[in-house]
Amino acid sequence: MKSSKTSFIGIIITVIVLVIMVVMSNIGTSQMYMAQTAVSKLFMPLQNGFIYIKNKLTGNDQEISDIENLKNENSGLREENSKLKEQVRELEILKSENNTLKEYVNLKNKYADYETVPANVIERSYSNYDKVIIINAGKNDGIEENMPVISESGLVGRILSVTDKTSKVQTIIDTASTVSATISTSEESILLKGTLADEKNLRATSIPVEASILQGDDVVTSGFGGIFPKGILIGTISQVVNTKNELDRYATVNPATDFSKLETVLVITNQ
Amino acid sequence: MKKVRGTLIIVLIFILLYFFQINFFSWFTIRGVKPNLFVILSLFIGLFAGKKIGGICGIVFGTILDILVGRSIGFTGIILGAIGLLGEIFDKNFSKDSRLTIIFMTAGATILFEICMYVINIIKFKIEVEILAFSILLFVEVIYNVMIVIILYPLMKKIGYYLENIFKNKKLLTRYF
Repeated sequence: MKSSKTSFIGIIITVIVLVIMVVMSNIGTSQMYMAQTAVSKLFMPLQNGFIYIKNKLTGNDQEISDIENLKNENSGLREENSKLKEQVRELEILKSENNTLKEYVNLKNKYADYETVPANVIERSYSNYDKVIIINAGKNDGIEENMPVISESGLVGRILSVTDKTSKVQTIIDTASTVSATISTSEESILLKGTLADEKNLRATSIPVEASILQGDDVVTSGFGGIFPKGILIGTISQVVNTKNELDRYATVNPATDFSKLETVLVITNQ
Repeated sequence: MKKVRGTLIIVLIFILLYFFQINFFSWFTIRGVKPNLFVILSLFIGLFAGKKIGGICGIVFGTILDILVGRSIGFTGIILGAIGLLGEIFDKNFSKDSRLTIIFMTAGATILFEICMYVINIIKFKIEVEILAFSILLFVEVIYNVMIVIILYPLMKKIGYYLENIFKNKKLLTRYF
């Protein structure tokens, strides 16, 4: 009886630990503000006490008397800072709205030449290593293997296999996927691959030595390889990593498509 | 008749786990890492129902998974089948009544499955070898699988012994008497 009770408590504890781990791992540090504040409130008085004693012992009394003046000055600066931050935020929102509208207009024009079949994502791969999705359009809708798949934001992947009513799509973030791309500003060719280390981003390799590649540059499909048409937005360069050997340098590309929230896609049926 | 009932139970569990794995665990992740319920299922079938049933179920379930959501067809079935066979080897050498041995078995089976799948992917799709990233992913997945086994162990044991009575009845008699 006691053993079964202990076992039940063990299960409950494991469930709680599992839920906590999942929740903690899925929320950003910014959302941990409450917890951080609570912990800091708990520890700060103790920490201040230690600093006070330390200053007394080391004869830093002068510094302590200046603290009041500094505090006043600091609160004034904080107020000014928060007003400026608010203004910057408003400007950023306007800028991003403007960019989104521009992108939308550009994309509409860009994809107007293609015949597309809309589909919904109905399943995702169970594995941690494959990034394959299933869509609810297949052979009956005119879909064939290797057709490019796009979303409103950019490139999604290619059709891996089809059944009458469904299709398997290998996304560009899959570790087995390689996409030939060009940097929109310099027209230099690069290769984009999915990685295990960072499943939300792509790794750009084979960057020509003479190529100038900058953070924020757009990356689009090159049209080489015969699968993806030229000029489809893939993402933007988020980081450039320079190595001792220039041939090994690589960049991280943030895909334009948010794969975790991807629900609707378009399959390009003519190229 | 009993064997048909046993098989039906296994199929129903697979369907249930499939929907859990695809829908629930696609967002209920630890740092984006999902558990692998099919490794646990194949191991438990092998452990309780024997290597024949375990092996067959592993192969069938793995092939179905490959057809439905896999990048290529065949390998998942082979490795899950091997885990099903491994279940009986574990059963002969360790006690399945001990939670600790079950935890080690689950961890071992998960490590075996994922390493094999990763090596196959490297060879077949020529993907880049990322030892560190793979190790971190594997570690989280093992922890996740072990936690699920700890939570579900009483239920699994009950269903497991029910299946054992159906599929391994004769073998039990010759082994102990």
